[in-house]
Amino acid sequence: MKFRSEREQLAEALGLASRIASGRVGALPALSGVRLQVKGDVLHLTSTDNDMTLQATLPVGGDRDGVSLISAKLLNDIVRSLPEGKITLEATAESLAVKSGRSQFTVPTYNALDFPNVTPSAGAPFSVPAGEFGEALRQVVRAASGDQMRIALTGVLLTGEEGSLRLVATDSYRLAVRDVTSIVIAASTKVLIPSRALSEVQRLLSGATEAAISLDDNSVTFDVGGTKLTTRILTNEYPNYKNLLSGTYPNAITTGRDALLDALRRARILAKDQGPVRLAMTGNGLKLTAGTKDNDEFEEDLDGVYSGTDITIAFNSDYLAAGIDAIPTDDVIIKTIDPARPAVITASGDTDSEYLYLLMPQRI
Amino acid sequence: MDMFYVAVELRDDPGLRGLPIVVGGDGPRGVVAAASYEARKFGVFSAMSSSRARRLCPNAVFLPGRPAVYREVSAKVHKIFRSYTPLVEGIALDEAFLDVSGALRGYGSAVTIADEIRARVAQEIGITCSVGVAANKFVAKIASKAAKPRVIAGSIDPGEGVVVVEPGREVEFLHPLPVRALWGVGPATHARLDRIGVKTVGDLAMIGVEHLVTALGDASGRHLFDLAWGHDDRAVESEREAKSIGHEETFTEDVADIVELRRHLVRLCDAVATRVRANGTRARTLTLKIKFSNFRSITRSITVDTARSSGPGFTEALGPLLSAIDVHQGVRLLGVSAAQFEAADGPAGPVQGSLFDEPAEGRVDEATWANASGVMDEIRRKFGADAIRTLAALRDVEDLGEIGENPWGPSSPNGDTR
Repeated sequence: MKFRSEREQLAEALGLASRIASGRVGALPALSGVRLQVKGDVLHLTSTDNDMTLQATLPVGGDRDGVSLISAKLLNDIVRSLPEGKITLEATAESLAVKSGRSQFTVPTYNALDFPNVTPSAGAPFSVPAGEFGEALRQVVRAASGDQMRIALTGVLLTGEEGSLRLVATDSYRLAVRDVTSIVIAASTKVLIPSRALSEVQRLLSGATEAAISLDDNSVTFDVGGTKLTTRILTNEYPNYKNLLSGTYPNAITTGRDALLDALRRARILAKDQGPVRLAMTGNGLKLTAGTKDNDEFEEDLDGVYSGTDITIAFNSDYLAAGIDAIPTDDVIIKTIDPARPAVITASGDTDSEYLYLLMPQRI
Repeated sequence: MDMFYVAVELRDDPGLRGLPIVVGGDGPRGVVAAASYEARKFGVFSAMSSSRARRLCPNAVFLPGRPAVYREVSAKVHKIFRSYTPLVEGIALDEAFLDVSGALRGYGSAVTIADEIRARVAQEIGITCSVGVAANKFVAKIASKAAKPRVIAGSIDPGEGVVVVEPGREVEFLHPLPVRALWGVGPATHARLDRIGVKTVGDLAMIGVEHLVTALGDASGRHLFDLAWGHDDRAVESEREAKSIGHEETFTEDVADIVELRRHLVRLCDAVATRVRANGTRARTLTLKIKFSNFRSITRSITVDTARSSGPGFTEALGPLLSAIDVHQGVRLLGVSAAQFEAADGPAGPVQGSLFDEPAEGRVDEATWANASGVMDEIRRKFGADAIRTLAALRDVEDLGEIGENPWGPSSPNGDTR
């Protein structure tokens, strides 16, 4: 195998591949590799950790067809270290030479036969607008759990709701739901996708205009401009989130999103270790406090339009900030029932909001 | 404690008295944990491989050891210690530092306390111990060694039992000793010191710190120089202030089955959590240690939002870390430790509510487990450590293992070390 490529485009593809390749301690070496295959003037890159697989193609100057398997991290580090310009990669039986100008690396390769067979999802692809789907992922993926003991909650539910796409994630402390009414999808669709894969999809989507999704019983593939990311589907039972959506909220405050985020950033200096921030909401607006009275204290007053009875409610500062940050509009609405029941954060402006972030308070 | 494990065995089976006894793993990977003075006459000593011990002393009685019993005895001895001072720093099951400066008014002198502790340990526990009394930890440790029984020219000298090094007389006591007596002088350092003509602690003290730094490096050189002059300003740290509490276990055969490793994890978590509770604390940082078949070790840590003290709480936190490690090449040793302690009776932090009424899958509720853990502790206090255990540790009855068993290597199924 031998080919020439510009450093920039090769580095971009390898950056992706090295994030997908397994970093697991003690894993099979082949899983930490990126498989390079040259056919004519096309380079096919593949990397996988057995749960998630990336397949990308790159136009290159092909000199000799062939296959090579090499540590994704190592090759990524090498290519990134080289100056801009043309790079030549040439594989022999057990090593790969990387040349650029007067620099040359020769590094060992793995046996390409050790690399697992990977196939994208077999389902019929449907197309989604990349910008809107990416924004929906941005708003929802953050609420998924990272706790490997609660596998179902590490997934994002992709489902059909009244004929269009709905994304749901919860770590049991907060719940994010986004309806994307512009994407039509069968009501019977219901798959649980690992949030880790969706974070990568989100990166792929930035700058793209269109993406295609295909689903089968075991896997889902996201195709963004020919780069395919395939992940297995989680089979765990998802908690019943729908009865959490029907609450009525007697209290509501509308306040500026950016001002609240800035204040939260300050409050979190004292609300260490996911400690609480307190929101006191009255007709005068919103008072944000953090810290302990006897020790240290932060306090900031914010403007707001309030309706309801006066209330003070405490939240995990990180969870609250993540919810406010997910709102795309200039103003946010925080609705509450009482200090012990879930609050809901939505965008202001349209009453028929497509996004909501439900957050359970902290008891202090 | 003098030859602690052996002493406990002799106490429980007086028929063994006078025989060469070796306690330790007798499997192919076994090491000697303790040897009776009769066995030491043959050149057997702790940390030697069991197979070598067997060659040196073929007639020795090899005992697999009963770690749970030793821990129990150790706890009773510590209880005696704590009746004199809360400042007890255990450095091994059979070794501890006591800062008795606060107890002197009541007892007159440290020597009185030392004599009384020796008498009570002998009477209430049925084993003997040796005490070094000095103004700092280092000198006290050396003095306790000097107080112990030892083998001299093939016969057993019972030792003085208590050796006192009066403040101001440390140099007099230390300088005639061979340099090997100093902490931190292993075979490599010893060889280097020998090359520059240093044989005794006195030689080392006289050679001058510059020469030592040249020969041994800055930190090590200065440290040994201080010790040689009897300087040691470290305080006695009681376990409440301990930095971590942990257990580790070497398996009979390397384990590559993740399900089996998980069972061991559950058992170790239970053992460590029990000690964390006994210490009156909760822990926020938990660490998993794995030694692979090729002896490569890795550790993985997690810090949880709310401090925990239940076995299931520990398992829940460490389980995912274990799952994320590829164990197919085989695991030789598994360890669990807890750190970042806070007082169990301290103020509780804020509690994050859950959106779902039912605890979600696999979720451990520390508050619920606090009661269950307390009941388990009570049962074990009354009926012994084996009286109650987690289901995961009970896969089959033959396989009943003790908590934290085999710290020095498991037995071979047929008792053969060759």
